[in-house]
Amino acid sequence: MHWLRRLFRKEQSEKQLDAELRFHIERQVSDYVAKGLVPQEARRRAQLDFGGLEPIKQETRESRRGHLLETLFQDLRYASRMLRKNLGFTIAAAITLALGIGANTAIFSIVNASILRPLPYKDSARIVSLSTHTAMYPTFSLGLSWIDFQQIRSQASSVEQSAAYDESEKTLTEKGSPAILSIANVSDGFFEELGANAQQGRLLTEQDSKPDQNHVIVLSDPLWRSRFGAEPSVLGRSVVLNKETYTIVGVASRGFDFPEKSEAWLPLSLSPADQQNHIFFMLQVLAKLRPGQKIEKLKAELDTIAQRTMKDVPALSAGYSFSSVPLLEDRVGDTRSAYLILLGAATLVLLISCANLASLLLARGSGRQREMALRAALGASRSRLLRQGLVESCLLALIGGGLGVFLAAEGVQLFRAIAPANTPRLNEISIDSSLLWSSLLTSLVAGILFGLVPARRAARMDPNDALKEGSGTNLGAARSTRQSSLGDALVTVEVALAFVLLVGSALMTLTVSRLLHQNPGFRTDHLLTFDLPQPPFDQSGDLSAQAKKQSEQFKGIVEKIRLVPGVSAVTASDHGVLSGMTMMHGGLKIDGAIPPSSKEERHASARYVYPSYFQILGIPLVRGREFTERDSGDAQGVVLVNEAMAREYWGTIEVLGKRISMSTDDKGKPVWDEVIGVVADAREIDLRDVPSPVYFLSILQGGNGSVHLLVRTLTDPDALEAAISREIWSAYPDQPITHVATLSRTISKSIGNERLRSILLVVFAGIGFALALVGLYGVISYSVARRVQEIGIRMALGASPPSVLVMVLRQGLVPVAFGIVFGALAAFGLGRLIASQLYGVKPTDPATFLGATALVLIVACLACLIPARRAMRVDPMVALRYE
Amino acid sequence: MAQEKSEFLKGTLDMLVLKIVALGPIHGYAISQRIQQISKEFFQVPQGSLYPALHRLEDRGWLSADWRESETGRDAKFYTLTRKGRKQLETELVYWERLSDAVALILRTAE
Repeated sequence: MHWLRRLFRKEQSEKQLDAELRFHIERQVSDYVAKGLVPQEARRRAQLDFGGLEPIKQETRESRRGHLLETLFQDLRYASRMLRKNLGFTIAAAITLALGIGANTAIFSIVNASILRPLPYKDSARIVSLSTHTAMYPTFSLGLSWIDFQQIRSQASSVEQSAAYDESEKTLTEKGSPAILSIANVSDGFFEELGANAQQGRLLTEQDSKPDQNHVIVLSDPLWRSRFGAEPSVLGRSVVLNKETYTIVGVASRGFDFPEKSEAWLPLSLSPADQQNHIFFMLQVLAKLRPGQKIEKLKAELDTIAQRTMKDVPALSAGYSFSSVPLLEDRVGDTRSAYLILLGAATLVLLISCANLASLLLARGSGRQREMALRAALGASRSRLLRQGLVESCLLALIGGGLGVFLAAEGVQLFRAIAPANTPRLNEISIDSSLLWSSLLTSLVAGILFGLVPARRAARMDPNDALKEGSGTNLGAARSTRQSSLGDALVTVEVALAFVLLVGSALMTLTVSRLLHQNPGFRTDHLLTFDLPQPPFDQSGDLSAQAKKQSEQFKGIVEKIRLVPGVSAVTASDHGVLSGMTMMHGGLKIDGAIPPSSKEERHASARYVYPSYFQILGIPLVRGREFTERDSGDAQGVVLVNEAMAREYWGTIEVLGKRISMSTDDKGKPVWDEVIGVVADAREIDLRDVPSPVYFLSILQGGNGSVHLLVRTLTDPDALEAAISREIWSAYPDQPITHVATLSRTISKSIGNERLRSILLVVFAGIGFALALVGLYGVISYSVARRVQEIGIRMALGASPPSVLVMVLRQGLVPVAFGIVFGALAAFGLGRLIASQLYGVKPTDPATFLGATALVLIVACLACLIPARRAMRVDPMVALRYE
Repeated sequence: MAQEKSEFLKGTLDMLVLKIVALGPIHGYAISQRIQQISKEFFQVPQGSLYPALHRLEDRGWLSADWRESETGRDAKFYTLTRKGRKQLETELVYWERLSDAVALILRTAE
């Protein structure tokens, strides 16, 4: 390791090298003197023989190992000194790179964690999720029936394992306040297929599905810890869920959460009637393909099963099919395209920051020509100069990259904090170490790439020219033209990319504002909403008696809530407002209906509502009356329709007294309900929907067991939540209460994804735009600085300051204008890609394009103005004296 | 002149230097004089090659160096062949002989 030692004894070895070489020369001199030359001539000859002392020293140093390391230290020291000396440049370049790397790393972390990384289940890549499609509801993906599930299990040879589950919410009533749990009811084979283990007790088995043994429950790790104090003694204890008692048999291992956010698992046990019902499309089915088996094989087998069903079951005679989607795709859903847009935007930011870095380095490289020339003249070899330049830009890149990784880590934290709760795989999102390294590597590559051009230029330069050139006028003119055209090209690229980002973010922001500010057709303030799940009817008992009892209890609850101070009115519907849930009906019998306008089967959504629903939601009643408490039980069946329904089926809104039938009685005769009112169209199911036909039935005359309450409050609705649940539980201690929310919160949640995307896009566009402007400013002010003499001469020859201003502005705005044109073309072409994410605005919205153009032009003018003013103030005398 | 360095020449120079140093401790100037004399002025060893070569050989442990008084009374850096260096010299000589034999054979046979 003596080279290492020498590294630290450098000074001494330098002295020795010098002495050794000087000795050589001295000996040569004395030899020449001995041959009879006069001392002066002898010295001259000897030195001529020897050649340049410095280059030989350099080559001798380089012949030793450890030399590379040694000079690397030197280069690093030198580079950090240079970076410190030009602090402004260093900060600008590092921040430029940090923003590009940071934005990219953060978004890539998010994308990687949510749509690229395999799901954390055993052989998750082979698991597919199945669904049913029928002619009656062509636009819906339905679950599978038990019959189909069993057929697939027994007949699809490409499937190794399969399991079914459905999700529900149940209220846990135990000592303390009741809690609402997300429950999955799972068939046998569920845990095996996903590779789940128990950390306490056991998971569910086939035995647990038997009707008399199915009251067992497996807890999730978070539930076990929060509710049961992580005590192993919970095994064997019983808990009450929706008034039924279950025995705890196990706790799933930490981190197992399928379906997402499940808190406990129960055995799936369907009634014999449900098992036999071929249109009971309620099961989610996961099928795991055999190793090496293609999904196409499964699709073919599913088609065969569907064909047979269509032949055997008259109700499902046409358009019956199954679809299979890889589990990851199913989980990620349409977030995928949104994420890809964000990834694209982050990439644009990275490209802009690279272009910016390149123009910064380029400008600085030419500013340092004299320094480089001087070093070359003093004996620095070309390779050394090249390496020096590279070391400097790599150091810069690493600083920027490190800063970028820090930004990315913060950004990911921020994303997790503000992302909507329904973002897929939200808690799996983090920066992973491999990504971290690849980010640093990316910045290093950027440093080498963008450091190489100026460094090579510096190394290739002839020191004679550069030194003679002085401050850079005549001789440098050709080179500086070339450089400024490269700078202009970089500005064009930056502006074009920033323009695309601006247009994208503007479109997304418009989407959010359209969604937020469009009239939903109902009042959204001061409304507290929640669900009151009802136990299913006992099919063997007297159904109408049970319905009557439930409706009585329901009236009782409504009365209780009315008494809570701060509540002004109460109503209810079967499905939540803006839940996106609705019951669709085709094949309605309509009294006096006009023929359909298209060949497709007509559909209408049904909603069961409680009296004063429309009054409380503020949906105008256009004709007739709304339900009252007398529209209950055995009274004449009544129905309200919205305007869209009236126009679709009757072509007019004068439809009072018309009749609709959606069911038949025991003898097969249709049961008719009479239209008693028409209401205005409202977007109560989904804000994005265009109004579609909806009819309303009295929840007191039927309903489907699901009850969603809407409470109009006089004060802050959130504050009343506790009081209302206390009041309900005081009379009905085991009544589950779920999905408590205020309507305004539901609305902002329902556009949470759009809002998040638009925020991120705006941030990216802002960064990209700012970087492009900094780049433009840098290029212009650099060129003004180089042209001080030229401008001075022009002014001495009579050019007026305004004409100088115009000249500088024109020089700056030409590449900007090109950038806008290219950017507009690109944005126009890319518009298709984001069309699916937009609402109420076209991807080619002319106002958006014009606005972006105006913004870029105005701000670009401002960026040019600062250096242009400097150019106007040039004093010809001072500028010329410079020469 | 310093630019005319092929790999072959470089190897040859190393061998010649080792051979000269093998005769006894010697400094750089004397080495260049000796090579010039013995080769009857055929080899002009450029300083730009000699000193890098000396330092490279020292770096590899084939030569050792110390400062001692020279014939003129000034201190000079004297190089001595190490044991490792002697082995290297033998290897190179054997290789050189085989190489020149082979070249000579080819030249003779090809006539």
